[in-house]
Amino acid sequence: MIRNTFIKEITELARDGRVKIAFFIVLVLLGISTWISSRQYNSTNQQYAEAKNAERSIWNNQGEKNPHSAAHYGTYAFKPKYPLSLIDQGVDKYAGTSIFLEAHNRNEAQFSQAADQTGLARFGDLTPDFILLFIIPLLIVLLGYNAFTKEREMRTLVLIKSQGIAPWKLVLGKWTALFLPILVIMALVIVGAGIILSNLEDFGVFRWSNLGILFLVYICYYIVFVNLVLIVSSKSKKSSISLVLSLAIWIIACFVAPKAASNFAETKHPYPTRQEFAANILKDKQEGLDGHDPWNKQAKLLEQEVLREYNVDSLHQLPFNFDAYRMQKGEEHNAEVYFKHYKYLKSQFEGQTKVYVGLATLSPFLPTRFLSMGVANTDYSTHWDFSDAAEDYRIRMQAFLNNDFAKNSSHGDWSYKAEEATWKKLPAFEYSPPQLAEILSRNSSNIIVLVAWLLGSFSFLFITIKLR
Amino acid sequence: MYRYNFLYEFKLLLRSGWMQILSLLLLGLFCFATINGNQKVLKRKQDIHSAKVEVKESDANMLSLLDSVENGMEVSASRWTIPSSPTAVGNYYPRVAAMDPQPLSFVSTGQSDLFTHYVKPTMAGDDFTLNFTEIISPVQQLFGSFDLAFVIVYLLPLIIIAFSYNILSAERESGSLKLLASQPISIHTWVLQKISLRFLLTLILTVIILTIVFVFLVSGNNFKGLFDVIITTAAYILFWFSLAFAVNLRVGDSSKNAIVLLGLWVVFVLLVPSVLNQLGNTLYPMPSRTLMINKMRNLKEEATEKQDEILDNFLRDHPEYALNDPNQSRQFYHRYMASQKLVKEKLEPVTLEFERQLERQQALVSKFRWLSPAIIAQESLNILSGTSTADYENYRKQVIGFAETWRNHLTPLLYNNEPFTSSKYGELPSFNYHPIRLKNNMIASLIIMIVSIGIGFVAYMIAFKGNVSKLIIS
Repeated sequence: MIRNTFIKEITELARDGRVKIAFFIVLVLLGISTWISSRQYNSTNQQYAEAKNAERSIWNNQGEKNPHSAAHYGTYAFKPKYPLSLIDQGVDKYAGTSIFLEAHNRNEAQFSQAADQTGLARFGDLTPDFILLFIIPLLIVLLGYNAFTKEREMRTLVLIKSQGIAPWKLVLGKWTALFLPILVIMALVIVGAGIILSNLEDFGVFRWSNLGILFLVYICYYIVFVNLVLIVSSKSKKSSISLVLSLAIWIIACFVAPKAASNFAETKHPYPTRQEFAANILKDKQEGLDGHDPWNKQAKLLEQEVLREYNVDSLHQLPFNFDAYRMQKGEEHNAEVYFKHYKYLKSQFEGQTKVYVGLATLSPFLPTRFLSMGVANTDYSTHWDFSDAAEDYRIRMQAFLNNDFAKNSSHGDWSYKAEEATWKKLPAFEYSPPQLAEILSRNSSNIIVLVAWLLGSFSFLFITIKLR
Repeated sequence: MYRYNFLYEFKLLLRSGWMQILSLLLLGLFCFATINGNQKVLKRKQDIHSAKVEVKESDANMLSLLDSVENGMEVSASRWTIPSSPTAVGNYYPRVAAMDPQPLSFVSTGQSDLFTHYVKPTMAGDDFTLNFTEIISPVQQLFGSFDLAFVIVYLLPLIIIAFSYNILSAERESGSLKLLASQPISIHTWVLQKISLRFLLTLILTVIILTIVFVFLVSGNNFKGLFDVIITTAAYILFWFSLAFAVNLRVGDSSKNAIVLLGLWVVFVLLVPSVLNQLGNTLYPMPSRTLMINKMRNLKEEATEKQDEILDNFLRDHPEYALNDPNQSRQFYHRYMASQKLVKEKLEPVTLEFERQLERQQALVSKFRWLSPAIIAQESLNILSGTSTADYENYRKQVIGFAETWRNHLTPLLYNNEPFTSSKYGELPSFNYHPIRLKNNMIASLIIMIVSIGIGFVAYMIAFKGNVSKLIIS
């Protein structure tokens, strides 16, 4: 009986012109968006590789220099694009792509793509994630809104009942018929993306397991939508009402809830403005040791402490350059200040994340969006991770330069120049994004909410179903 | 007959709860959006205010330091931050260059969540590194904001579709159309009456609610602004109603109508803007920012080498400066300021390319925006709110101009070796933001209205010439 229902539904769908057109449009859009994304992905990665190499050679070939001048000269950390950004671009457009690493200061990632685009960019981009997150649920609504209401309208429900079919069997048949086309589309997308990605030349490491998880996440999302649409259809009296109600669910889940959530999150856990943030950091920095200022109170204290420790009475008798030593201590103090302030920023971000998870109970879109971005390494957490790694590298770079300065010169010797070969000894900045297990554990609450949606909608569908 | 139809429809709408639901829904959405938008504006005002207060405090501190220096007293600040040196004033006592919100800024978030609303340009900082983006969670930028523009551009059409997709088909499906067909009125005229009534009711409700929202939720009565928003919204509403009218006359049953209308919504609100954006990016791609960094680094390196040359020339011309000068920082600034200009000139073509591409994209968008009234409505609202791309570009240019003024004001003191004194405090330049003068947005709205009426008219004429009985039974 389940099989018969399934065959009947599928045949009906296949014969419906609207379904064919909708299917065709979705496939074309997916094709175009994937093609555009893969082009962008390629060019971005080429630019990344080029910029990274060029920057490294600029650093290596800066000539003889005082190490502290080199520290001010600085270098750049560039953020690479990861393979799965082909499917979900996530927040990449809004997060900066390069961080300037210099002495004394932690800089924010600069140059977000969105700031270089017209206001139109805010409507959204034609990317695969746009189709997967917004358009396919709409397709589900269009395919399934009349699953039950048409039986009611054509009076075939009485016939079906006379066959003595158990309600759950009927539901299962219809469910399978609605779900199968979506499964096929999704499988096509995933296999297509997998083939494109594994044929690309060594840009980042592409793993099928990540792609598989992405597949599961979207399938869960679609199942929730299939369930919701069928629930609405089974409860509505007329097809048109069922359609309008399902659409309302779609709008609320995909458009209203995320925007409202973003407003709640901002109100509850606001970020400081860039200027405030910088001013707070400056204030804390000034209270501590200033590496450049030997007359600074903390610097005097440090001087006395070091003199006592080495049991000498003048800085010139120290076995190292005290200027550089002080600079390094100042650097360490600054690093602490930055750590403190960025920790605050991060706690605000975590608070915001909680708001999103809380509101995810209202919309299956939210957990899916976050999981998808997470697995694709295009979410905000990955950006944080990158920026922390860059800061870590900056601290190590400063220590390397200051130690060279301290070791190879004596107090007051600002004319010391390190030879050119020194710069090559600084290891290059390498960053690898978080692995799948870490991503999943970080997103565990999103997984729980999505699974709750899945189970909740399933049980609601099968428990409350009645053939009236 | 017309009067009866009107009254009958009106009573029906009232008794079916249509009016009540619509009013509550609109009121709820508009209020929530306005409160959100207003919160953002208040925070922006607050931020700017506290930045200005901070500058006032640091100015008081500067004046007291100057006073001590002028009276020959010892001061307890770091040597290079003492404001008797013009570079110290230029770098440590910057002014706030703020972009104050416009009276309608709460209507549309626009680009305001991307960019900062105040910066403090310093004398030594080069304009190029002035960062105009704001630190904000990119998730927020991705999701966007629940503002009035969102309600008007995205949700209002859907509400209109939900309430008007079945005005003819429902009558046919319930069988009452046959009764109506016996009346001395043509079907299309009757549909036109029904849809006009709904249009008028929606319009009146929107106007009333917008007025309520403007008067009660926002401080300062801005009736000119209210009027502008109403015109834009009215044109947009009319467009969707005329689409609904055409679809009702052309397409068959209720579900089909809903699907077609929804398809149009997806095309106008989601697809056309994103395809257009993609087109702009593909035709006029932004040069790579990462490669630009490389270029900038190379140019700066070159300029640094030349910087010594510049200084040599400079010192030859002005032997009174810097020779055997024990004050290192002053020597540094002489050299630095002299070469700064050269670096800037060198970098100009690189940065200009970005501006040019953005302008080209914008030109493309302006040409093709007529493909979707959603784009026009959103852009009009952004412009009214002072949150469009052009507004931020304008602000950026003004700030860079001000940074130049600030530098030019203090540089002569530096080169003339003149100290900064408290008597010169009053002459320090200050920044005043001049918003772009609002062009009339009426024309765009008027064109949308004419097009909408055109769509309605064509649909009416086709139905008029077609077979009426088809409308009744089909």
